[in-house]
Amino acid sequence: MLVQEFTSIRPIVTAAPTITAPGAAGPARAGGAGAAPGRKPCPGRPPTATVCRVAQFRLQGSKVLAVDLAGDAVKAKNGAMVAYDGQMTFKKMTGGGEGLRGMVTRRLTGEQMTVMEVKGQGTCYFADRASEINLVRLQGEKLFVEASNLLCTEAALHTGTTFTGLRGASQGNGLFTTTVEGHGQAALTSDGPAVVLRVTKQYPLQVDPGAYIAHTGRLKQHFQSGVNFRTLIGEGSGEAFQIRFEGEGLVYVQPSERNTLGGEV
Amino acid sequence: MPFTTLNSRMVEARIAPGQRMFSQRGAMLGYRGDVTFTPNIQGGQGGLGSMLGRRIAGESTPLMTVEGNGTVMFGHGGHHVQVVDLTGDTLYVEADRLLAFDGSLSQGTMFMGAQGGVMGMVRGQVTGQGLFTTTLAGHGSVAVMAHGGVIELPITPQRPVHVDPQAYVAHRGEVRNRLSTAIGWREMIGRGSGEAFQLELSGQGTVYVQASEEKL
Repeated sequence: MLVQEFTSIRPIVTAAPTITAPGAAGPARAGGAGAAPGRKPCPGRPPTATVCRVAQFRLQGSKVLAVDLAGDAVKAKNGAMVAYDGQMTFKKMTGGGEGLRGMVTRRLTGEQMTVMEVKGQGTCYFADRASEINLVRLQGEKLFVEASNLLCTEAALHTGTTFTGLRGASQGNGLFTTTVEGHGQAALTSDGPAVVLRVTKQYPLQVDPGAYIAHTGRLKQHFQSGVNFRTLIGEGSGEAFQIRFEGEGLVYVQPSERNTLGGEV
Repeated sequence: MPFTTLNSRMVEARIAPGQRMFSQRGAMLGYRGDVTFTPNIQGGQGGLGSMLGRRIAGESTPLMTVEGNGTVMFGHGGHHVQVVDLTGDTLYVEADRLLAFDGSLSQGTMFMGAQGGVMGMVRGQVTGQGLFTTTLAGHGSVAVMAHGGVIELPITPQRPVHVDPQAYVAHRGEVRNRLSTAIGWREMIGRGSGEAFQLELSGQGTVYVQASEEKL
């Protein structure tokens, strides 16, 4: 009875609004890239170049991201390319491509990310240490994500930094986090397949700081601790700290925990 | 005797009397029936000459011969396993990525310098493949290990494929590979994009790419 109630309260948003790979979302592995059906609209080849102007993100399996480019550019984590066909150039964007001010901010905040600009014609494949990849489509809203979990963004999206308060320190990620804003797609990495949990006004959500990867929407976050005398005598449950999200939005949680300050107590 | 994939990290092979197969030593997870495992000091097929060749080339991985009647499950180190069926063509793969393969395949070593001379040797060093690589030719199946999943990318004469050397797993077919460098002044001052070296594969065939930059 109790379990039933619990599950009915919080709908796990299984991939529906966010993971959008036009045409070829499924494990298009057997046939290889050339046979993938999603490839057709944007082959990046002169004779059939039709309407496609922006980069197309597709998932090849769950751990490889394929991006079809037709002369445009995407931003990706440094060194994340595993293969490409066609013509590509890779250029490191000093300071994450946010200009001088952004660069200084990142240096100061310790939220450094090394980003490269990938430009060209063809298909580029990205992967990062065999971690799972989640596609997020942004329509004007702001995505808060850890710099280490951001794999690839469309060129139209703006990245920046923001202050997170005590939560950041507890996550082992520092006091700042990365924001992604605009219209377009972004690819996040997670250790294991991530779940997307919806937060509504009535149902706030508590997340282990080590398992949190990203969130969108209008969410307020608090840091809460369950430290009591048991923790102090070394008999803690390992769940001494949580982040509490309140408001309206989505939270991405990975089925694995980073090493955090609160992880041991 | 083809492999059947049990899950992404385990394969099962059926073995019949009179057949044999080779697998990496210690990679057996379980078996049914009457199967024997004998360590193979020669490290695969061929006579003493082949064994010496492999030893010198550094392509000798401890292998064992599997014979008998039954089914055997293989897996190693939690790595993803990709089954490649060969029909008369040749697979080029590093010896330590081989999980198991049919005894009907003929095994050999290839000198990297044979494709591209000195540049071939340089390429071998950069990609961590060393100066030699293992070839498997004939009709049969091979189980290859990779970190993360594997994707197959077709190579056609019009569409060469560039691969990160660390993510390269294996290739098959009539493929020429060439190390292409994109070193500019940015790399010199330590501001590289991390993609300075790429393996360019052209011709007709398939390349297997893993979803990670980690070696096994």
